[in-house]
Amino acid sequence: MAAATGTYEIKNEHGEVINTSTGLSNKKLLMWSFLGSDVMFFGSFIATYLVYRNRSLVGPYPADILDIPITSVSTFVLLMSSLAMVLALSYIQQGRQKMGTFWIFSVVVLGAIFLLFQVYEFNHFGQVGLTPRTNLFGTTFFILTGLHGAHVTLGVLWLIFLGFGSIKGSLRADNAIDLEIAGLYWHFVDIVWIVIFTVIYLISARDVGPPG
Amino acid sequence: MSNFWNKLLYHEGRGWWDLPRTQWQDPNPQMEGPFGHGIAPIKRTWEIITAANYHHGTPWFYVLIGAILSIITIVEVWAFTWETLGGLLIPLMLVLSLAKFILVVGFFMHLKFDRKYYAWIFTACMIIGIGIFVALLLLLEYGNQTQQ
Repeated sequence: MAAATGTYEIKNEHGEVINTSTGLSNKKLLMWSFLGSDVMFFGSFIATYLVYRNRSLVGPYPADILDIPITSVSTFVLLMSSLAMVLALSYIQQGRQKMGTFWIFSVVVLGAIFLLFQVYEFNHFGQVGLTPRTNLFGTTFFILTGLHGAHVTLGVLWLIFLGFGSIKGSLRADNAIDLEIAGLYWHFVDIVWIVIFTVIYLISARDVGPPG
Repeated sequence: MSNFWNKLLYHEGRGWWDLPRTQWQDPNPQMEGPFGHGIAPIKRTWEIITAANYHHGTPWFYVLIGAILSIITIVEVWAFTWETLGGLLIPLMLVLSLAKFILVVGFFMHLKFDRKYYAWIFTACMIIGIGIFVALLLLLEYGNQTQQ
């Protein structure tokens, strides 16, 4: 116990020594606090999408362009990336370095595939005339899914960094918390997509212009 | 003196020689449900797949969660194509989406296994987030009514 600073050292369940004043891992506490703020961030954009739903005065409308089969595949890819992430963490914590590295790079590949789907979708929408300036649907759709895509891109870059760290041996069982917090971020990105997929793609996919 | 002998010879009012030798001989109230002993193997299997190191699940447990998430997504897409659902579509989608949300947050993000403080932080922020969400929707509804 360092009386002057009010902090003390504890060992977490993985044997890692951490300095804390709360009894909790500071890194994990920071990540959960950040994710909490991100809930409000995405909550506002999803609410904005719903507020302006069915209010576009000109097309294209969601019913004209949303492609549910393709988005279902990309949703499945992101769900599987979450599974790969949790397997990567499990193997790294067990000290099975090669399996952990394999699954980290699996997450990277699946995340990149998801981003390619998004690039394809944005490009296709642009070709049929939907841009952020076209109508309210375009504005709210591109801001919400674009911000989500930016989160996925950041996650992919973070995991590439950790993947090479695992190859070099700097990411090990005793500091697996670094992968755990990246995993929390990745799973959060996944749950945000679960909500976006439901709200934009499944619930709003038959929307046309404003009533009347 | 009699208390000493009671403690020595009896355990919670029963003689040591009367105590059940296995859990199956013990009339455990948890097993006296409609499924009797049938529920015990399922419970044991669940404990095996969830009881890995560090209070986390085993890889196979996570594969099981991933399979459930995939099935829910397939059901969502299938329900979307089902025209007869009508007004039930939105509540059904919200329930399925909530189920996926809980599975990912609870098991993939380890909130089920981790310290409760993290769950409180996240839940508190979720409540504020939902509050912002509802406030925005109500503001627009109120704005529309005043315009009309």
